[in-house]
Amino acid sequence: MFIRTVEHDTSLDNFRAEVRAFCERELPEVVKRKQATGQHLEKQEYDQWLKRLGSKGWLTGKWPKAHGGLGWAPAQHLAFLEELGRAGAPPLLSFGPTMAGPVIYTFGNDEQKKQHLPGIIKNDVWWCQGYSEPGAGSDLASLKTRADRDGDHYVVNGQKIWTSMAHWADWIFALVRTDQKAKKQEGISFLLIDMKTPGITVRPIIGITLGHHLNEVFFDNVRVPISNRIGEENKGWTYAKFLLANERVGNVDIVKLEANIDQIRALVAETREGGKALSDDPMVKRRMAELEVGLATVKALLADQLAAARQDGAPSLMGAAALKLRGTELQQAILQTGLDVLGRHGMVYQRDALEAGWNGEILGPTASAELIYEHLYRRAATIYGGSSEVQKNIIAKGALGL
Amino acid sequence: MPSLSSEERQQLNDSLQEMLSDKYPFEHWKKLARAPGGEGFGRSEWKQFAEMGWLGVAMPEEAGGLGGGMTELGIVLAAAGRSILLEPFLGTIVLGAGAIELAGNAKQREMLGQIASGDVLLAFCHSEPDSGYARDYVKTVATKDGSGYSLTGEKTFALHAHAADFLVVSARIGSETGPLGLFLVPRTANGVSILPAPALDGRQGAAVRLAAVKVDGASRLGDSENDLMPVVDRVIDRGVIAACAEAVGAMAAVTDQTVEYLKTRQQFGQPLSKFQVLQHRLVDMSVSTEEARAIVHAALQALDDGAPDAQQMVWMAKVKTAQSARFVGGQGIQLHGGMGMTDELSIGHYYKRLTMCETLFGDGEWYLRQLSGNQRAA
Repeated sequence: MFIRTVEHDTSLDNFRAEVRAFCERELPEVVKRKQATGQHLEKQEYDQWLKRLGSKGWLTGKWPKAHGGLGWAPAQHLAFLEELGRAGAPPLLSFGPTMAGPVIYTFGNDEQKKQHLPGIIKNDVWWCQGYSEPGAGSDLASLKTRADRDGDHYVVNGQKIWTSMAHWADWIFALVRTDQKAKKQEGISFLLIDMKTPGITVRPIIGITLGHHLNEVFFDNVRVPISNRIGEENKGWTYAKFLLANERVGNVDIVKLEANIDQIRALVAETREGGKALSDDPMVKRRMAELEVGLATVKALLADQLAAARQDGAPSLMGAAALKLRGTELQQAILQTGLDVLGRHGMVYQRDALEAGWNGEILGPTASAELIYEHLYRRAATIYGGSSEVQKNIIAKGALGL
Repeated sequence: MPSLSSEERQQLNDSLQEMLSDKYPFEHWKKLARAPGGEGFGRSEWKQFAEMGWLGVAMPEEAGGLGGGMTELGIVLAAAGRSILLEPFLGTIVLGAGAIELAGNAKQREMLGQIASGDVLLAFCHSEPDSGYARDYVKTVATKDGSGYSLTGEKTFALHAHAADFLVVSARIGSETGPLGLFLVPRTANGVSILPAPALDGRQGAAVRLAAVKVDGASRLGDSENDLMPVVDRVIDRGVIAACAEAVGAMAAVTDQTVEYLKTRQQFGQPLSKFQVLQHRLVDMSVSTEEARAIVHAALQALDDGAPDAQQMVWMAKVKTAQSARFVGGQGIQLHGGMGMTDELSIGHYYKRLTMCETLFGDGEWYLRQLSGNQRAA
């Protein structure tokens, strides 16, 4: 497999050892414990850990050195993610390092780079993404949130939806309409907005997980300095697409997929059917092997896109679409396998067990609540970041010329 | 087997649809499911269902029932699925009543009247931590204790076990290798530990631990200590087909709602329903639902007819329904986009109910495995 071959590289062996030692030393006990039981982290617990990684520059290790990154090759980035996964660390967040950062260093001016990049590198600033709107989902370019000039400010009015972690974010990068008359893709600008600006309201959306991750964000006469605009006015769609390609590569969290497969293998090992180990069942074994084949394939696709990002400054829109399409399908197939095993334990969903301080008795396997939560949450994997249908349109048009 | 005429079935179906769409909209579901400190279902609703005759639909007329069979039970369950009802249909009128009907003596069968009138709730406690989907793996033991028995063992999560008046508990008589017996155990009996929890779809239930629970001899279903495994097998088959019928109702609702949503949801300057790729997807949802409906109907009929291949039909129906449920439920969310991911809309709740229906008593792959070892001779 792709990553395992790389392990023979001695320089990476040293790096891996360094990451491992770091995790052992610096991963806060509470984070480790909660990760092990699938409990949700408080923002400050998460923040503490991310800041420690940030102090090493590792959150943005794949950024070019010129912009404060470490210039990691894809293999090193993947090795880093793998070691984090093995250490039981929580997944990294992509809003700053994968989405906002590369747009800012590629299209932003020096002032903007100086203002925003260090905060992302150190995780001093939490970002969220203001893209989707109630009327603009798959048809993102039809967005209606408007920004009208008033002196040296824009006045922003409108609504964003499905905004992950807006309730924790300090800043939002948002697509807004700055030209009402132009063709829909040509009237969009890309703004960076401080979430503390008066007129912004965040309202929670409770998901089918029964958890709070998503939000609606309302803008009511929000004054944003024109200097917060990235690049040119009405050219935001170009930056938006650049970001989407990065986002879609980031949607495929290989470490999480691997961890889920391991978790399910453990679940299978502790499940018996008619008193016999389910892990001896040939159909279950075949299914696990099929998931491994899927994982190997998606890893290879991912490595291609990371390499493209390094060499060309961005992954290809088509390649990212294919990766996102198959990567999220695989993710759902993995989590479905977990659910199929949990059916044998009665499909109990003790969602409260994921909250800190819960001290009830867990019925069935310990991982049940976490796996069901993840299964439900990732029903959205083929929807967020552009639905599978949208990815197929991109490939049909862009790659096949249809 | 008894059954109702087509006209009577139509009336039953109409009365279900009419009352449930009026009295049990999704807002009502939410109120019942989320009532703080509540039981996760409605007791007064259950009494209303009894008054409508739905609970005794498959019970003999002398027990206060309508004298129908499995097909009629299927009609009720499909309606329950269409409105994702929270009440204990499966445990009480399918599994519990089924066990009493098939294994009980005359005295025990008197309870069927109380079930039909909505006065007794049951839960079927059979699966154990190491049984998985295997039906015959029971380690709970009922040892003789004077004229009664003492039950010890552990049962995994069963729907509505937290609220049932009686638990229908399977146990091996004498030792782990003894004949299988079925016992009516009061939920509040000494030595019964109820560990309540929610299921994936928001219905409540409980795992049950039995520590030397004393019951009298009359609690054992039937008049002898004969092995009741064949009865348990039939009861579970009824549960399987009931869960399938429920899934068919839920799939029909998902397909209808998704068609309506795509007609109103505008993207790229037109309703999503104008995109051919999405039209075909909706067609696949509709046809998948129809396939499941057809084979579930055939299996219900086979059970009512006492057909020799009835069990095989039930298992095949489960395979097809499980496949359809996974596809239709998943696409219901996919085509609703972000809206489908919210707790606020019902579509996600249908997905969860369909997942339960798919896995209860064995998932599609498990029944394929059983069928592959049990193929019809050419």
